Amino acid sequence: MFDKYMVKEGSFQNNGQDGFKFQVHVGDYRGCFLSLVRGYYVEVDGVEYPLEKQKFEINGKPPRTFDEIAKAVWEHWDFDDYATLYIDCPGGLSKGPHRLGLMQGAMVQYGWQPHDQEWIENTPLPKDLVGEQTKQKEVYYFDVEIK
Amino acid sequence: MAIKRGVSFYSYQQEQFFGRMDYHDMAKEMHDNLKCDGVEIISEATVPGYPFPSKEFLADWANTMARYDLKPVALDGFLDPLRFRDHVMNHREAAELLKLELKLAHDMGFTHVRAMTGLPADVAERALDTAEKLNVAIAWEIHLPIPIKPNPAIKGLFCESPGTAVQDTVDFIKKTGTTKVGFIPDMGIFNKAPYIDGIERTLRHMEDKGLAEDIRALWKEVPLSELGTEIDKRYPGKLTQAEAGAFHWKKCADPEDLVEILPYVFSFHGKCHDMVEIPGKPGQYEEPAEDFEKVIQVLKDHNWDGYICTEFEGQRAWQDMGRENLVDEVEQVRRNHEMMRRLIGE
Repeated sequence: MFDKYMVKEGSFQNNGQDGFKFQVHVGDYRGCFLSLVRGYYVEVDGVEYPLEKQKFEINGKPPRTFDEIAKAVWEHWDFDDYATLYIDCPGGLSKGPHRLGLMQGAMVQYGWQPHDQEWIENTPLPKDLVGEQTKQKEVYYFDVEIK
Repeated sequence: MAIKRGVSFYSYQQEQFFGRMDYHDMAKEMHDNLKCDGVEIISEATVPGYPFPSKEFLADWANTMARYDLKPVALDGFLDPLRFRDHVMNHREAAELLKLELKLAHDMGFTHVRAMTGLPADVAERALDTAEKLNVAIAWEIHLPIPIKPNPAIKGLFCESPGTAVQDTVDFIKKTGTTKVGFIPDMGIFNKAPYIDGIERTLRHMEDKGLAEDIRALWKEVPLSELGTEIDKRYPGKLTQAEAGAFHWKKCADPEDLVEILPYVFSFHGKCHDMVEIPGKPGQYEEPAEDFEKVIQVLKDHNWDGYICTEFEGQRAWQDMGRENLVDEVEQVRRNHEMMRRLIGE
């Protein structure tokens, strides 16, 4: 849900020479405990940027890796707050239009489910984190521009 | 003793997402336009700094309720068992989270916490002391496909024994004599037809546009409740399973089933997806998929006292569209309240 509206308009830009960044809203009707944010499937012009190349900035703290985010079990991503997703991409992206593919991987659910133990032991990557109750089911594509 | 009207702020999730309404605006809408006073919130959507909000927020919340003369009814909490990431949350930990919600509900003036569907009785038991002490009840949501009457065949959702979860909780209430545990039935358990928003979404995305047009024509000819079976008859094998699913509907309880549990029902979720004008009755609306009429009649017959809080859920199915085609949540909730006022007989 809200897939089409998850990226804040006009927020997609280069982050100096380190890569690029953009702001994201939680794609749900509620916020969630931060540790439930597994990371994102990110693709630009067909190139995938895996979890290791992502950092997440929220709650006024410096950008964190998703290994660090996984430990934030008492911190909350509030529904009204945009987070900034930083992507490691030396040199940044070229000026002009790009095609961004994005899927939020969040382990939010309603109570206990049969997959629980499996998802703890072998946590699926964001793109494969799809269950009956997950709010994102597929990659959504955006036309963005580096100015 | 009366049936009273309320709103779950869940209904305005899209307005909140786009930054057009916050809880002040929602409270004002209830007071100025809906003329009702029962407030339900999703704790993780409304409370900044959840689960440890600031004193400033708590004061502003109380002030907002006072300004618009509103009554906090239900605070909806969740249960995300994967949160700790290194183990699955156990029942003792779930009870600790529930206690946190009870304290938050108490601090915000709510009478009960809407706990997760199928909440195991032993979780409620572990949090019961806190509920009694704070005078805030634990009411878990009876949501499709959980039945009111036991059906052990239902498995694999929400908890270990979803099919008998209601009965397990009733047994617990009777055993302990507590008045601080019960239920919030969701109107969706009494469905009587498929949701229109799901039908529209499916027709919009069907690859076979000709078939989509034929189904649209058929929809005008047959009762909504029979559309799915009629499509199965006329176009066997032509739809994918997901497509066919949108035209079918399920229920898991009858309004009369409520009688047994009414003493333990703290409030209702007035679930609705599509409030449409009743043909020939301008200004009067109905939700063709839901049985508000029979449920409200049962509540009247048994002199039930409490709130039905509108839970408008028809926004999601349109979010693949541009902003100009998104649903007007404010208008949909107003229509739901026109219907409720009429059925309650205010």
